[in-house]
Amino acid sequence: MTTYILRRLLLMIPVAFLVTIGIFIIIRIAPGDPVLTYAGENPDPATIAAVRAELGLDQPVPVQYAAWLSRAVQGDLGRSFQTKQRVVEAIGERLPVTFELGAAAILISVTLALIVGTISAIKRNSAVDLLTTSVTLAGVSFPNFYLGLLLILLFAYVIPGHIFPPGGWTPFSTDPGDNLRRLVLPAITVATASLAVNLRQVRSSLLDVFGQDYVRTARAKGLRERAVVIRHALKNALIPVVTIIGIQIGAIIEGAIITETIFFIPGIGRLAVQAIPSQDYPIVQGVVLVSALSFMVSTLAVDILYAFLDPRISFAAAEA
Amino acid sequence: MARTISRALALFAALAILLAACTGTTSGGPSGSSAGGAKAAYGGSVTFAMNSDISNMDPMLSGLFVDRHLMYAMYDSLVRVTPKGEIIPWLSALPTVSADGKSYTFKLRTDVKYHDGTTFDAESVKWNLDRYRLTKESLRLGELAPVDSVTVVDPATVRVDLKTPSAPFLSVLVDRSGMMLSRKTVEAGGADFTRKAFNAGSGPFILTEAVKDDHYTFKKNPDWWGKAANGDKLPYLDTVIIKPITDGDVRLTNVRTGQVQATNAVTGKDVPTVKSDSTLVYQEIAGIGYNSLVPNRTAGFIFAEKRYIQAVDYAMDRDELLNKGPAQGVGVVGYGPYAPSHFSYDPNFKPFAKPDIAKAKQLVADVGKGPLTFELLVSSGDAATLQFAQLLQSQLAKADITMTIKTLLFNDIVTLQQKHQQSGMTLIGWSGRIDPDGNTYDFNYTGRPNNDSAYSNKDVDSLLDQTRTATDPAKRKDLFQKAQQIFVVDDPSRIFYSFNAAQLLTAKAIQGFSVFPDQLPRFETVWLQK
Repeated sequence: MTTYILRRLLLMIPVAFLVTIGIFIIIRIAPGDPVLTYAGENPDPATIAAVRAELGLDQPVPVQYAAWLSRAVQGDLGRSFQTKQRVVEAIGERLPVTFELGAAAILISVTLALIVGTISAIKRNSAVDLLTTSVTLAGVSFPNFYLGLLLILLFAYVIPGHIFPPGGWTPFSTDPGDNLRRLVLPAITVATASLAVNLRQVRSSLLDVFGQDYVRTARAKGLRERAVVIRHALKNALIPVVTIIGIQIGAIIEGAIITETIFFIPGIGRLAVQAIPSQDYPIVQGVVLVSALSFMVSTLAVDILYAFLDPRISFAAAEA
Repeated sequence: MARTISRALALFAALAILLAACTGTTSGGPSGSSAGGAKAAYGGSVTFAMNSDISNMDPMLSGLFVDRHLMYAMYDSLVRVTPKGEIIPWLSALPTVSADGKSYTFKLRTDVKYHDGTTFDAESVKWNLDRYRLTKESLRLGELAPVDSVTVVDPATVRVDLKTPSAPFLSVLVDRSGMMLSRKTVEAGGADFTRKAFNAGSGPFILTEAVKDDHYTFKKNPDWWGKAANGDKLPYLDTVIIKPITDGDVRLTNVRTGQVQATNAVTGKDVPTVKSDSTLVYQEIAGIGYNSLVPNRTAGFIFAEKRYIQAVDYAMDRDELLNKGPAQGVGVVGYGPYAPSHFSYDPNFKPFAKPDIAKAKQLVADVGKGPLTFELLVSSGDAATLQFAQLLQSQLAKADITMTIKTLLFNDIVTLQQKHQQSGMTLIGWSGRIDPDGNTYDFNYTGRPNNDSAYSNKDVDSLLDQTRTATDPAKRKDLFQKAQQIFVVDDPSRIFYSFNAAQLLTAKAIQGFSVFPDQLPRFETVWLQK
């Protein structure tokens, strides 16, 4: 197991390397000259040249990449073109915010998916099943930006009392109550998109497991239905669910981009939204690298989790 | 006895002058605000929403309009403007100018300290101006290009010598080029100063917290020198919080639910709603920025032919574009670069007041090369811009002018424009400057870097040169208007169609908040009705 994990960790290095080359080239192919964004409203040629040199964009792309990579391996991802803030610091400030939002969304999505998906599977083709399937399908059909705006308007103008504020962020350490109040609407927005997928996965996995011999045996032994479902069926039905949740954890940053913008949450998604159109290369490179790494780490975590959920899965072959 | 009295009076007068010198030599100060007869109250907090986040807190490196929202709260500049655009004393009295127009002498306030406790004086002014004009990466190089040297005359006097007379020079000191920062804090901040400019200013509010993309908190500067017209010591508020909220609907919802008490960005479609909301106060005046279409006058391109530009000018219905387009009437119809708050504005200058389709068709026919077809480049990602372009497209079609619309990244359009490679026109405006020179010179003078239409007209060059050396405003106004007649009508450099609006939406309890043509909020006079 340890060898397997180490090997997977080592494999991340070339993948990350390829990701950095890819993003380095792609953002430079994009049309437009970032220097014009940072040289002010009324730049003369001397200012443009000075700003280009200051940003290091007067060098050939391979030289720029080599310089960036040599600093990156030492943990220095450069400074933002726009704010001059260290990229590592900018990402470090925002990651906890995005992870809190992502964790809350996944918690909502998984909890509801497990409860409702199980009920749907047990009461297959019943009115409850049809209703939950329809509601979740409607939920996933709403684009994030639209659902977010609807929730904001609903709690601002329709539901009295302004229980949930229309956006903004308060760190948990500053005011835990306000933090949770501000977290609810964006977390529901992010969760809704994945809820339908998770719910349907729980439902179909459970239906699959319900047809297995060991479930029939458990029932034949006279176990109560609750014990059959929770102790025998649900645990075995979770493996494909865990795979999907693992992918969703890796995609937290991607999922947060629109929601953080609508609810003006200072997370990493919003950092990316601002950096891309203004061609703030160091920030874009940093965010993509962190996003790719988080994807790789969550995939590894899921693989490791398999072994605990199903002892039949062994990494011995991988280690051989 | 009479002699004794006159000696006593002379002594009293001398003491008064000395006292004035010790406590500050300027008059003016905060303006455009009043308590409206009611007694202004001290204390409280106001949260203000701007439409995007800032990029930089260092006036030297700031390139975005939004940055200035924070700067006007935390920094003082040498001079400032009133809501009517008149330059007034601030950290300095209005300067005395030498007869040849090349030497400006500033008498400084002597009662000003930066938030870090260091003293504002002539050395500080010299350090700031030299930093802005001599640092290679400074974005203020262009604005301060006329400056030859800055000399400390005494601790309260600075002389700025120019290479050539420059009438618009004083106006650039109103904004970032004239903002004074503490040398100690700037140097200690190093590369991080751009986003952690705590205690660097001397302004009415002290920046205490900066969380990018979320909020900027300012606390009252209890030692600020400014006083209201009624003698009240300013500022009134204890706290100001500025938040960037990019989505217009969310921004308005925050104002209507009381999360935010003021904003200067209301989308056109929402203006009727806020006007009818009795809990809010909406103010709107013409801004100083203009909206325009930029043709490429380079030889070999379609719009090297000026009659084609004139044809588009005549075919456009500017009233419809402003009132039926996405702006929904927010702004003012315009025909040139001078806004109503500019001294060079002429309310009777309306060369294309109504669309003249016959004239547009005639101009195209006179060229004799068949129907006019051209491409308009518009920024991608903004539905309102595209809607505007489509409305314009339908107007031009009435004159048999075919305009195709192409969307590109803003940066890409700017790049093409600067290289004079746009095949037809671009849709790009200008945020505006308080002196008309800032709306004219760089865009119409032969060979200037922002002359994106590659325009060249010797008469215009000559007139614009004269506007810089003339010191009499009436003379300058006449010169600007003569130039405008040429670069708008006779030989157009671009097509002007409207001015931006300066907006301010506040909760009803907010008082003393004035709207300025530059669209930037001034918090020092704001107070909360209790």
